Amino acid sequence: MTPGHDSLQLWPAAVSATASETDWLILAFTVLTLLLTVPVFVAITYFALRYREGSEADRSPSGIRSNLIEISWMLIPFLLTLIFFVWGARLYVHSKNPPPDAMVVEAIGRQWMWKFQHPTGQSEINNLHLPIGQPIRLHIISQDVIHALYLPAVRLQVAALPDRYTDLWFKADKTGTYHLYCSEYCGTDHSVMGGEVTFMNPGDYQEWLTHAGAQQGKVAAGRALYEAYGCAGCHEPGSPVKAPSLAGLYGSAVTLADGRTVTADDAWLREKILNPNGDRLAGAGKQVMPSFAGRIPADELGTLIDFLKSYSGPAAGKAADATPAGATR
Amino acid sequence: MTQPLADGVGVARAEHFESVAQQREAATLGIWAWLITELLLFSALFLVALITRIQHPEATVAAAKHLKFWIGATNTVVLICSSLTMSMAIEFSRMGWQRAMVRAMLATAALGGLFLVLKGYEYYADWAEHMMPFLSGRPFALAETPASRLFVNLYYVATLLHALHLFTGIALLLGITWMAARAGFLSRHQNWIEVYGLYWHFIDLVWILAFPILYVVNR
Amino acid sequence: MSASGTIGGTARREPHTPESTIGRKADYLHAESTLRSWFLATDHKRIAILYLVSITGFFVIGALAAGVVRLALVVPNGAIMTNDTYNKAFTIHGVVMVWFFLIPSIPATFGNFLIPLMIGAKDLAFPKLNLTSWYVFMAGALFTLVSVVLGGVDTGWTFYAPLSTAFSNTWVLPALIGVTIVGFSSILTGLNFVVTIHTMRAPGMTWFKLPIFVWAHYATSLIFLLATPVITTALILLIAERAFHIGVFDPAYGGDPVLFQHLFWFYSHPAVYIMVLPGMGVISEIVPAFAQKKLFGYRFVAYASIGLASVTFFVWGHHMFVNGQSDLASLVFSALSFAVAVPSAVKVYNWTATIHKGSLRLDTPMLYAMGYIGLFVLGGLTGLYLATLAINQHIHATYFVVAHFHYIMVGGTVLAFLGGLHFWWPKFTGRMYSEPWGRVSALLIFLGFNVTFFPQFILGYLGMPRRYATYPAEFQLLNVLSSAGATILAAGYIFPMLYLVYSLWFGRRAPANPWNAKGLEWETASPPPTHNFLEAPEVPRIPYDYPIQAQESRDQHG
Repeated sequence: MTPGHDSLQLWPAAVSATASETDWLILAFTVLTLLLTVPVFVAITYFALRYREGSEADRSPSGIRSNLIEISWMLIPFLLTLIFFVWGARLYVHSKNPPPDAMVVEAIGRQWMWKFQHPTGQSEINNLHLPIGQPIRLHIISQDVIHALYLPAVRLQVAALPDRYTDLWFKADKTGTYHLYCSEYCGTDHSVMGGEVTFMNPGDYQEWLTHAGAQQGKVAAGRALYEAYGCAGCHEPGSPVKAPSLAGLYGSAVTLADGRTVTADDAWLREKILNPNGDRLAGAGKQVMPSFAGRIPADELGTLIDFLKSYSGPAAGKAADATPAGATR
Repeated sequence: MTQPLADGVGVARAEHFESVAQQREAATLGIWAWLITELLLFSALFLVALITRIQHPEATVAAAKHLKFWIGATNTVVLICSSLTMSMAIEFSRMGWQRAMVRAMLATAALGGLFLVLKGYEYYADWAEHMMPFLSGRPFALAETPASRLFVNLYYVATLLHALHLFTGIALLLGITWMAARAGFLSRHQNWIEVYGLYWHFIDLVWILAFPILYVVNR
Repeated sequence: MSASGTIGGTARREPHTPESTIGRKADYLHAESTLRSWFLATDHKRIAILYLVSITGFFVIGALAAGVVRLALVVPNGAIMTNDTYNKAFTIHGVVMVWFFLIPSIPATFGNFLIPLMIGAKDLAFPKLNLTSWYVFMAGALFTLVSVVLGGVDTGWTFYAPLSTAFSNTWVLPALIGVTIVGFSSILTGLNFVVTIHTMRAPGMTWFKLPIFVWAHYATSLIFLLATPVITTALILLIAERAFHIGVFDPAYGGDPVLFQHLFWFYSHPAVYIMVLPGMGVISEIVPAFAQKKLFGYRFVAYASIGLASVTFFVWGHHMFVNGQSDLASLVFSALSFAVAVPSAVKVYNWTATIHKGSLRLDTPMLYAMGYIGLFVLGGLTGLYLATLAINQHIHATYFVVAHFHYIMVGGTVLAFLGGLHFWWPKFTGRMYSEPWGRVSALLIFLGFNVTFFPQFILGYLGMPRRYATYPAEFQLLNVLSSAGATILAAGYIFPMLYLVYSLWFGRRAPANPWNAKGLEWETASPPPTHNFLEAPEVPRIPYDYPIQAQESRDQHG
């Protein structure tokens, strides 16, 4: 069920009852649209041919009372569409009222990454693993601009606002891996602010929480941070800023501008990220890196350094990365 | 037009109008339409100020206590007087008393100037009290209640926008006065005075709305 | 009424036969030819031409930016340009097309040129104000272009806070100032139209003899006057927020970023009807002319214009269904949005009924009008999909929205603009364009448009978010199709620019009324003299007095 292999797909996968009903709603609406538009198109085409200038058509007044016609073509389509207002509103209200027993997953949006925290404490970046058969409520907030969390497979999205929480709830009933997007434009890397949502059987989900969630996701999470905080933008080879590469940096010896040599260990990397102006490097250009003190929380700094430990370069880094992120793109 | 005009007072028809009546009607409707848009401009701003007041009552009250109520009140009186002198100018223009009209217009401009001087002094006092949170180099007196900053800044946006209107108004008024002092003005452009008078009253009206919304309700 | 030198005062004249050509020196184009006579023109017709030239320039800039966007989306991985370049391209496309092309397009050119002619006046009520509004427009444009030249803006045309106020590192301020200034130009134009339509109508030209084009512009002008001040306030606050961090839209100080969206859409939803209503006015002129039949349901169409302009002030919240607005508010805004369908349906069905039993000529303007009706119907009904709450939660901010509003803005406004441009080109310039080239271009544009934007409906429902510089590979086929369509569309746009300019020098001289159309603008020469009419035109007994009259119209007006 991994999305992305077919070159053309004509209907998106639906994994919840609400999603399927939304599909029915839109199909029914499309039927109504055709009922309302096809006669107009046919009429215009037919009239255009039948009543061409010089044709022998009958042009005598039809004598139809226009007020009656006017009122009927005002009201009948309107009343027909109102059926869809009611249907859509009912579904909407349903999707806005989560059941009290829903499992709550915290979601935090930030330029340009999503962070999810499971009720048992495990967290993941950009990707989300969830059990099926159980109502799930995403409790969403943003740390900077307005984002929006969009899960096409459940046909839902809601804004992540900087000053208040919003909720998104659904109950998935099919396993599989689907897209997860930011759908409110949020700046440079808006289009890469996302990943995948994986719906799993409850047993698999418990398994994932104890193993993968705690362990395997760590390096992937660190890579996501490496990209989300903009490290990659300057430190990857080929970037316009030409900052020193961080691949294989961990544990190596670094020569400083004042002649000292230090080992790039946990403590030194931590200090260098928080205070880039200290410990100038030998032979490096102008120091342009901004300080990340106060911008990166302690736990994420730890995750980022863990990633740097294992990072050996762009290609190798991606291969070592055990998440299925490569499958989406 | 409502008032009968004295002999020798009137409007010269511009080429594209069919009649003087049509020309006057167009000018009146035009200025009213303009004033409605201006009123909406300020209304949106006052609406935001009221929303702030509803969302953060304490912080707003704390900030509003720093506003100089008496300067605001005096300025309200000053502007009401200026509306009076402007109305007199309009009346004089209808009667054809050109010199009296010019004097009334100068008095109006002077009262407008007085308003700006008082407003300037008020801004200075705010500055001295550290009540200018938008200045990055100068700490804000009420920094402990962040929302008060919101109200104070809205106060500056609203009053500066009003002051800008008043300043433009005074400049226009002096320009018109200069032209209106010439011989024959009233026989050609009497309606300028009427139209301009409406704009002046509008500036006055905006302040009469701003004063209670900013100074009074939050006390 | 103390009339001095009225023309209408001299009442009825003998039947008026328009001259096919008047002395070259007398027409407004050739009356004077210095640059000064153009840049200080107070003749509404010359100002309309100034606008026409400037907005065509902006259309080209906006279209080039659209080309960059479609180029980037040919590949899914963003290999062609950086994300920042892409973001700037779609922002420039949106800002220029919305604020500098669509909003002034029909009102400031055709409206400016035709309203005085259609109501039998010599000019707009305030000719100098009219010129001022063009200069204000150009001043705003200058600021925006400066921001583009300095490096661009990447906030999207909607300038949502707090991205635009605290996070974007691009040239947001000059762009915001430019857009604020342009608002004043809209206000001045709207004010001029309202006053002109109220006070400058020729004797006998009662409200229900006005062409629908004038009704539509009256409704548009009301929106200009009542909605634009609110966006001006919103933009002033946004500028202050970005420059001085005043806090209104910043949650750190208790401000509310969603408040900006409310203020923004309070204007920008009515602004949709600023762009749509004049187009409807154009179509309501073209269809009766090429069917040689009275417009069906004239009064209903007139009232529908005012109805649309009123309803549109109460539906802004439908842009914010997923933005944390209260459920009750969403329900109310959704229900009200469905009501927009009523006046829109009135227009479409009446145009269709007008064609019935007409005597049709399928010349270029009529081809555009028929294309308009089809695309507007699709655009309008997909708007109802978006107004349906449950569907909106899925397709909000996806390509479905992009397709929907392009069907309205390009399928609607741009087609109406081009249709009107061809319809009145003889009147504007005194020359006929090449009819075969006109028809070919109209068909190319219709085809190219549909190939470009129909796939985007599907992309949206499949779940491709808008404003994405990179996208999942499975969406590539539809995106390539869309980009291919854009090249056809581009060709369709280039042809009219060439053959219309060619016609200025080499086109056949136009008679006063090449289409045998009704309406006072066809009663005067092509191009019209400086003061529009050499003798006062006679206002017909009923509007759209075409040879084929529907029975019911006699009931209403007889």
